[in-house]
Amino acid sequence: MAKIKTPPVIELHNLKKRFGIGDAEHFALDGMDLTIKKGEFIAIMGPSGCGKTTLLNILGLLDHSTDGEYKLDGQEVSTLGPRRQARIRSQQIGFIFQSFNLISRLSVIENVALPLTYKGVSHTKRLELASDMLRTFHLGEREYYMPYQLSGGQTQRVAIARALVNEPSIILADEPTGNLDSRSSHIIMEELSDLHKRGNTIIMVTHNPRLTSYASRVITMLDGRVDTDTMVLPQLTTTPAKRPLGTTTKKKAKRKKPAKAKKVTS
Amino acid sequence: MRFLLLNHVQNAYQSLRSNRLRSYLTMLGVTIGVASITTILALSAGASKVVSDQVDALGGNIAVIRPGASTTDPLSGLTQPKTQRDFAASTLTETDLTAVSRIAHVTQAAPLMILGGSVRADSTAPDNTPIVASTPELATISNLKVESGQFLDTRVSPDTVVIGTQLSIDVFGTEQSIGKTLTVRGKSFTVIGVLKRMNDPINYNQVDFDSALIMSLESGKLLNQGIAQIQQINIRSDSITNLDQIIIDINKQLIANHAGEHDFSVLSGEQISRPTNQLFYAIAGVTAAVAAISLLVGGIGIMNIMLVSVAERTREIGIRKALGATNSDIASQFIIESLAIGIGGGIGGYIIGYLLAFGISTFLTFDPVINWQIAVVALGVSTITGTFFGLYPAFRAARKDPIDSLREYN
Ligand SMILES: Nc1ncnc2c1ncn2[C@@H]1O[C@H](COP(=O)(O)OP(=O)(O)O)[C@@H](O)[C@H]1O
Ligand SMILES: [Mg+2]
Repeated sequence: MAKIKTPPVIELHNLKKRFGIGDAEHFALDGMDLTIKKGEFIAIMGPSGCGKTTLLNILGLLDHSTDGEYKLDGQEVSTLGPRRQARIRSQQIGFIFQSFNLISRLSVIENVALPLTYKGVSHTKRLELASDMLRTFHLGEREYYMPYQLSGGQTQRVAIARALVNEPSIILADEPTGNLDSRSSHIIMEELSDLHKRGNTIIMVTHNPRLTSYASRVITMLDGRVDTDTMVLPQLTTTPAKRPLGTTTKKKAKRKKPAKAKKVTS
Repeated sequence: MRFLLLNHVQNAYQSLRSNRLRSYLTMLGVTIGVASITTILALSAGASKVVSDQVDALGGNIAVIRPGASTTDPLSGLTQPKTQRDFAASTLTETDLTAVSRIAHVTQAAPLMILGGSVRADSTAPDNTPIVASTPELATISNLKVESGQFLDTRVSPDTVVIGTQLSIDVFGTEQSIGKTLTVRGKSFTVIGVLKRMNDPINYNQVDFDSALIMSLESGKLLNQGIAQIQQINIRSDSITNLDQIIIDINKQLIANHAGEHDFSVLSGEQISRPTNQLFYAIAGVTAAVAAISLLVGGIGIMNIMLVSVAERTREIGIRKALGATNSDIASQFIIESLAIGIGGGIGGYIIGYLLAFGISTFLTFDPVINWQIAVVALGVSTITGTFFGLYPAFRAARKDPIDSLREYN
């Protein structure tokens, strides 16, 4: 890891997130250590409830850790005020959700233009940029459709267009293909893969082991901690990699557990 | 920031339009409130204008002295009923009248002593017939014209009266009543003049001369145990430029007369025209209460609908926050929506208020006034209602946790 020169975009150290108090106390994240470099495409896997969503929410500044360090671009985020954090969400981070999360009463183009609003872009310029973005996702003719008039795959492509319209450097995707069939899933993955090639940092949670082949690094989580951390060789990304190549960086990996967990959740 | 505001406005428009019926119903409270306010203000401005037009028509060089210190707050004049003090004995005396008429540049001074009591001839006049005791100067100061006969002057017998056309019809059944006798409080008087019909019951004398009876101050005193109870003294100056100086002099003189007590007020111009009619106060008071209650209820309605709206759009709030909206972005989105409801209701109320005012004015002798002040009040009241009652829902929206909001089902 020391061989790679790009500076870390994200650095987590002993990150903890507690939910509930007293008897109901529960650590969704229980000492996460993770370093993510610029341009990585990370696939996060793990059983349901292991803290993947919680991790993405914290990475995306929607939630706050209870303990530990989170440095974004070398800056400790707990020192940033809410307004500054909103700015970072607006300009540096793009969210893609499993349930798409388009605003149902706004048209496709208005949804895509929404993030630009909070960046202070004028109305005409917003529509122009949103329109351009939709065209790159081959949704040019669907601009004035309402979200309910789209198929699942199209909806998610709109959501990706929205996540990208502010040109964020980090894309956080929480099971982006979770509600899609395998064909649509692969189309979405191709889009993400494309973004990765253009230099974006992508952190994606998925339950589908086939899709990890698009990633450059696969992390499995267990009980709020990193379980395995595997680098994938870039030339193999086109074929589904059943067997991860590269080095496992984490110790104390109980070999059977993640496999069992995958069966439970997939 | 500017673009964001525009976006909020579009957003509010879309969201209100998508719940059209709900939005209109919510606006209704504000509409009723603002309509009531607009109606009162338009009509009271109309009433004031009638009086100020009269004052202007008389050359504008008129001042009136009334007992009791004046209130400087115009709203209290509009919304408060008469206080007990207004019914207390007048503080103006005949000595004051003499003193005032001697002040430099005062060309005429006419007292107005208004008595109650029965007026009877062939038939009895209505209970509220004003019996005015005054001096001959009243005719010129208040521009009273006689239709037949003559007005009071210094030479006529104290047992004579001048009556309004309507009163003549009421008690004699005819407008021709010169030489006929009538009894006032049991004492008989001869009619020597009938006034020309004026048709303005609202005037700065607060007397409808069409149905009034005018007698000399001496006779008035006799009917009132020898005491002059002067409700008002009308002053005319030789020119409008001297009016201010006259008012200062009157104040000095009367304060001296009243042992340093400022228990009277000298009014001129606009001040005279402030309507003081008691019925008007009652109507204005009731309408103001209706306005206040409907604005309160309307405001609570706005708050209620906005809370529903915030709850319905919890997920949207989460999405917007994830996309980079700050808490204040979210708050202003909802504030602008409630503001839009308020202003929408206000504009509707303003229009309805004027329709009402014009409708009511067909039964009155004056027209409502359209001016920018009333528009500003209507807009101001609706803006304040919209903003104030939208604050809490907007605050709730802004404080929503993005994660919890995103987890919410649509
Ligand atoms: N708001 C919350 N309150 C209490 N517990 C929570 C909350 N959010 C998540 N959790 C718990 O934290 C753990 C991790 O949740 P999550 O990150 O959603 O898991 P997943 O890996 O399936 O995305 C789960 O046990 C979940 O029940
Ligand atoms: Mg999850």
